[in-house]
Amino acid sequence: MRRSYDVIIIGGGVQGLSLAYNLALRKAGKIAVFDKSYIGSGASGRNGEMIRSAFGSEEWIRFFDTSLRLWETLSEELDFNVMFTRCGYLVLAATNDELVTFRKLTRLQKALGLDTRLLSQEEVIEWIPAINPKMAAGGILQPGGGFARHDAVVWAYEKAARRMNVRIKPHTEVKDIVIDNNSVTGVMTTAGKISAGMVVNAAGGHARQIAAMAGIDLPTDVYRLEMLATEPLKPFLPWAVSSPHTLSYMHQTTRGEFVGGAEIEHLKPAKNLRSTGAAIQDMAGKFVRLFPGLGKVNLMRQWAGIVDMAPDASPILGPATGLESFVLDCGWVYGFVGAPAAGSLLADYIVSGEIPRNIRPFHINRFKEGKPIRDLSLVVPTKSTP
Amino acid sequence: MSKKMVCFCQDLTDADIVRAIKEGYDHLETLKRFTGAFMGPCQGKMCAANVVKLYAETTGHPVEDLRIPTMRPPVEPISLGSLAPEKGGDDDA
Ligand SMILES: Cc1cc2nc3c(=O)[nH]c(=O)nc-3n(C[C@H](O)[C@H](O)[C@H](O)COP(=O)(O)OP(=O)(O)OC[C@H]3O[C@@H](n4cnc5c(N)ncnc54)[C@H](O)[C@@H]3O)c2cc1C
Ligand code: FES
Repeated sequence: MRRSYDVIIIGGGVQGLSLAYNLALRKAGKIAVFDKSYIGSGASGRNGEMIRSAFGSEEWIRFFDTSLRLWETLSEELDFNVMFTRCGYLVLAATNDELVTFRKLTRLQKALGLDTRLLSQEEVIEWIPAINPKMAAGGILQPGGGFARHDAVVWAYEKAARRMNVRIKPHTEVKDIVIDNNSVTGVMTTAGKISAGMVVNAAGGHARQIAAMAGIDLPTDVYRLEMLATEPLKPFLPWAVSSPHTLSYMHQTTRGEFVGGAEIEHLKPAKNLRSTGAAIQDMAGKFVRLFPGLGKVNLMRQWAGIVDMAPDASPILGPATGLESFVLDCGWVYGFVGAPAAGSLLADYIVSGEIPRNIRPFHINRFKEGKPIRDLSLVVPTKSTP
Repeated sequence: MSKKMVCFCQDLTDADIVRAIKEGYDHLETLKRFTGAFMGPCQGKMCAANVVKLYAETTGHPVEDLRIPTMRPPVEPISLGSLAPEKGGDDDA
């Protein structure tokens, strides 16, 4: 094994792989990705697969719309079908108050160039007759959103990166970060010490531990998010749907399975990956409330994944403060839809030294400066939004 | 190679499994995710033994060393309605 690289990326999830691919594309030298388990073993192979840029703040919209544009051509770019189904994405309003907020959000989205529109209750019911009218006051539809197959995206980036000579090493755990003179110079792994000009923390649910190895305290907590899939059903859900009111999100796969997840209101930091009884009751209750017909439908499987989330639920991107050659690509909660843009913009930063405008607001300094990001359209509870 | 059915839910033959392993989906978890084996309505109850045996033969990993992908709850089919809490909560909010 090589003992020295220009860039080492810790974490073989969709974030680390997208960055590796984008660095190779920019001829950023010798690049390696280490993962302690198999590639895609983290949240990247366990998520809701949902894709949108119709968020509720300027920072999120600008960043995620950059990503959505990359999604449109991702299969061609990577020469692998990531199964992006552009069926549309509905952010569902449950109450009229929520719809009033959503009306403002569509104005913001339009001003920033997004193609979204506000749907009335009648329109939502016309398109989704199975929905409970009491849970549907209207919504924001983004026709260009949808969902893609999470594993396919991981493999697409992995294969494309390998073709460009990125070394991808599964089952190689990073145990420590090597620092000389206030600058990161390498990592200690289960395969020994490996030096690097730059090290990137893309360790997903373990990003906080990795940062701590470099003496950086991330303001994040680990949360376990859970999902379920039902037996295959006839098509009834034309769009990917998220419901901020119930903190839930869902879509129907091409095989017909209804796949969705939900968060309980007072999410508590957690660590293991076991599915829990409380989560399944919460999810089943919400999905049956949204679609009463699902009451008769059988659950097929249930699983969980972890994310390491900042208080404002926004990612932490860019150079670490006070330490040279250490880059953060973590704090991800919407890290699947965000992967194409994050990989591309962070690679631009690593190659040029300039932080691109659309990721500048996500710098770690925002917490110290008292400038957390406020987005009103998320399906995770945040500590900084009402 | 002969074409024997190994996973009935997903219509997978032994040739499909071996091809996937050769294409690089050579961890049981990635093999599951790529082929869909273990992920049909029976959740692998009918095919786990077949697939694991074939995987062991193809890769040379002894069967005893393999960790079979986690059997996801539930063990028996159960409806969402019977899992949901009795009272709907805020649906007329
Ligand atoms: C249930 C659920 C639903 C979700 N739904 C959506 C959605 O619909 N849309 C969306 O955009 N996002 C969604 N997300 C979030 C999304 O999955 C994550 O933000 C994204 O996958 C993060 O990618 P990552 O590469 O940063 O992390 P991960 O995929 O978790 O990868 C991190 C990797 O780092 C490795 N690692 C950790 N520690 C070490 C170490 N010491 N040494 C070496 N390797 C290490 C891990 O093994 C892991 O493979 C969801 C997440 C969950 C859990
Ligand atoms: S036979 Fe393979 S999943 Fe059912």
